Amino acid sequence: MYIAETEKSVKNIVVDDMILTTDMATSAGSRMLDGYISLFEAEAVTKLTEAGYKVYAKANTGEFNLDLMGETSFYGPVEADGVLTTAAAQAVKSGDAMAAVTLEVNGSSARGAALAGLTFVKPTYGTVSRFGTIPAVCSGETVCVTAADAATAKEVLWTIKGHSDKDGTSLPQEKCVFDEVKEIKKVAVAKSLMVGEGAAKVEEMKAKLSAQGIEVVEIDGEELLLAKSAWNILMSAELCNNVSKYDGVKYGYRTPNYETIDQLYTNSRTEAFGYLTKSVVLFGSETLSEDNYFKVYDKAQRIRRVICEALAKVFGEFDAILAPVSSKLSYTAEEAIANPYIAYEESLYIAPAMISGVPAVVTDGVQLVGPAFSESSLLALAEKL
Amino acid sequence: MDIKTLERLQKLNQLKLTEEETEKLMAFFETAGKDAEILDTVNTENVERMVYVMPMTNIIREDIAKKLFTRDQLQEQAPEAMDGYWQVPRLVD
Repeated sequence: MYIAETEKSVKNIVVDDMILTTDMATSAGSRMLDGYISLFEAEAVTKLTEAGYKVYAKANTGEFNLDLMGETSFYGPVEADGVLTTAAAQAVKSGDAMAAVTLEVNGSSARGAALAGLTFVKPTYGTVSRFGTIPAVCSGETVCVTAADAATAKEVLWTIKGHSDKDGTSLPQEKCVFDEVKEIKKVAVAKSLMVGEGAAKVEEMKAKLSAQGIEVVEIDGEELLLAKSAWNILMSAELCNNVSKYDGVKYGYRTPNYETIDQLYTNSRTEAFGYLTKSVVLFGSETLSEDNYFKVYDKAQRIRRVICEALAKVFGEFDAILAPVSSKLSYTAEEAIANPYIAYEESLYIAPAMISGVPAVVTDGVQLVGPAFSESSLLALAEKL
Repeated sequence: MDIKTLERLQKLNQLKLTEEETEKLMAFFETAGKDAEILDTVNTENVERMVYVMPMTNIIREDIAKKLFTRDQLQEQAPEAMDGYWQVPRLVD
């Protein structure tokens, strides 16, 4: 495991390799930024430190957090008891860290928490500053919290949330207050997402919710299937733009194999980026090409509105949607590496919340997705279960 | 997706794939292309595009120059630097 450790304390927080710190390297799991030490730190790190927490270690991620659970990291994957996990989840599960603060880009944090039996909260988009995080998929990525229980996840999330002048996507302070707890009485299960082994966890949760007197109703949720396709396109296009700045000139990896400036650019990027990042960049670039911009990229942005409207309709009738987080209940590093596009397939489950910016709470291996600013209600329910 | 398009994309993005990677990627483009086909089945004629899910407002600051970091600090991470300049190969003969 790639964890740079400093002094340990009971208020230890681990942050992932996408969140900038000035006393530890931030590499985005990439050879491109191997050993990179930022001159400034993330807003989340500042808030944690000011509140008395100790950001004591850095957790490994997949390259730009695009993959299933860290298998594309330049430093190698993390396995525990023979199964793939994230370094952040492992740090919390082992008790080394009271919580992990990570940049959720494409579902790896949610999957890591779900498969390790931890609690995870992805707050409403814009409620936690992204200042000082390595940009990958700006319109959806969110700073999230993983902890052993809902109360701890809430404590840490409440510490890092709030408006920031340094982040253009940060919501006004009055919007970042989500203290009101609304009792969750009616939960929808989208049949469209009930595929794979993860569905069994949903069945278990249905019984738990019913025992709490919560009505659980099955809905078709066909529109939610569109989220995966639209998200994969938007994610690729945004990543392509965000990594175009890595050219080996001012910082980051520079190839020793060059004579001309073109060779410097191409060989630096080719040698530093892993295969998944290269694939995402090339696919994203194609979606933004003259021929495809309106047909593919612009279309995906319109579909984003279709999905948001479909979710609003569901939330008009239900307090939350219950869904699996992944198609399997465990993965080995070997199988994830063997299928470089596994995260594109697994985005089926995480895309609805990622593309629409609504909050999601992972508990007992499943996710509860609620309307914007419902994180208090979702966490309160998770605490009861 | 044809090989010529893939070569053009590699050039545009300053990336070079191996033959094996190219083959794998061609197959991936076929699969990923299905995402576009799925979206194409939905009529979005009267749907406005949504770039960000939350309303965004510009953050206006006073137009005052701030010196946040020194040249030396910025060049600490430089792959190659000399006399306060970033070094790159000769661009013009």
